[in-house]
Amino acid sequence: MVPMQFFSFAALVVLFAAGAAAQTIEIAASVKDDKGKPVVDAIVVAVPADGVIRPPSRAREAIIDQINREFEPRVTAVLAGTAVIFPNHDDVRHQVYSFSPAKRFELPLYAGVPSQPIVFDRPGVVVLGCNIHDWMVGYVYVSDSPYFAKTEKDGKALLTDLSPRAYVVRVWHPQLEGTEEATKKNIDASRSRSVEVAWTIKLKPEARIRRAPVADRPGRY
Amino acid sequence: MKSVRCFFLLSAGLLLAGNTPARAEWFVDLAAGTRYDSNLTAAQERADIRADIAATLTATGGFFYALSGADGLTLSAGARSELYHRFHGLNETAIDANGVYKHKFGLGYAAPWLSLGIFASHENYTGSIRDSDRLEWRAEVGKRFSEAFDASFGGMYARRYARNGEAVVPGISGKVFDVQGQTAFARAGYAVSEQLQVGARLSIRRGDVVSTTRQNFEIFQASDAIAPDPTFGDDFFAYRLRGTTQTASLFLSWALSERASLNLGYADERTRAYEGLDYRGRVANVTLVYSY
Repeated sequence: MVPMQFFSFAALVVLFAAGAAAQTIEIAASVKDDKGKPVVDAIVVAVPADGVIRPPSRAREAIIDQINREFEPRVTAVLAGTAVIFPNHDDVRHQVYSFSPAKRFELPLYAGVPSQPIVFDRPGVVVLGCNIHDWMVGYVYVSDSPYFAKTEKDGKALLTDLSPRAYVVRVWHPQLEGTEEATKKNIDASRSRSVEVAWTIKLKPEARIRRAPVADRPGRY
Repeated sequence: MKSVRCFFLLSAGLLLAGNTPARAEWFVDLAAGTRYDSNLTAAQERADIRADIAATLTATGGFFYALSGADGLTLSAGARSELYHRFHGLNETAIDANGVYKHKFGLGYAAPWLSLGIFASHENYTGSIRDSDRLEWRAEVGKRFSEAFDASFGGMYARRYARNGEAVVPGISGKVFDVQGQTAFARAGYAVSEQLQVGARLSIRRGDVVSTTRQNFEIFQASDAIAPDPTFGDDFFAYRLRGTTQTASLFLSWALSERASLNLGYADERTRAYEGLDYRGRVANVTLVYSY
């Protein structure tokens, strides 16, 4: 009798787990600009409409490299509380900093991997710079929701493992004209396993210090 | 002359011996272009004015080293050449060395900065009267106001030491290109788009200028150095005078990639050398710049 009870219990657990897995849904997001071109590096965020967010149990880590005197990736999305490491793969030194209200920090001139990560603990957009190479710019989108994804070159992003309920979804991009709030959409994901949502956003020209050389001294003197 | 040699030796020693700090950022800049000067003789009278076009080539190699998060040092050495279409006496080959210290007063691209620089060159011309060594000291203060707009102003002292120049008038030097001058300047740049940058520069220079004309008694009286200048003809003489030059220049730079750009420049120069002698020159250039 004991083995029979054990197998029945195990079967119930498997069935329950399968049922739970079956109950997760995904959001397929697509972002285009006003000319119809796919937008890369847009962050799509889904926030449960009821405001109840269960943060992941494990602390998260992320890496933003410096390669060829650029931040790589240029745009990174992390959950609030994530520790980010900034390894320098260049053969020159960098001094990474941010003045953004969501995270002010400075990594003094360094090569290699800094000894301590930077914890991004407040939601918002953090703009990264390097005090040695002014053209270097990077963005960290610190999300208040664990449900987010970044668009690829095709302008598409997939948010997975969401519980089936209603969400407010929004999109952010470094060149977004207007506010992130203005992109909000309500979706009901309680009845379907996959929901598609699309945006057409207007982008500003990229504000970035030029890296190309300039010959700016015409004349004799 | 001695300080030019010392600076060359120091720069060459650092660059050639590879005695550079670890993590220094090495670079090689190449520039090729063409340049048109509407008044090469710096002359007032139409009959004396000579214009020409030149091909220019410049190669510079060096390194930048971040001394701290706020301080940087750039040392470079290079060679340049100018080849004129008509007036071959102006054809020039030169080697030069450059040292610039830059300090940022704070963190971020918008922090104001100060740069102090010294430039030395050894110049050889086909017409030996112009052979010279040059030293320039420069101080500049600037600020970037946004990703697109930056401006700076500064001052420069330049001393050119002529190596040749036989006196043709007793008691008057023949080294006409032995000149010095102080320049104050202001410049601004604006990035219209990711590719296009435009800019302007205003400068005023006080010091020695060299005007080449046919024999001219008035200029002769005001000059403190005279020499024949066969580059422009057998009857031309170069006169050294004191003068003030105001220059207004514009440039456009089109980024071809993050390492290369095509640059157009135009400068309008007005010089008042002494009472009655005013002359004007216009310089235009097109330069392709590649930085590795």
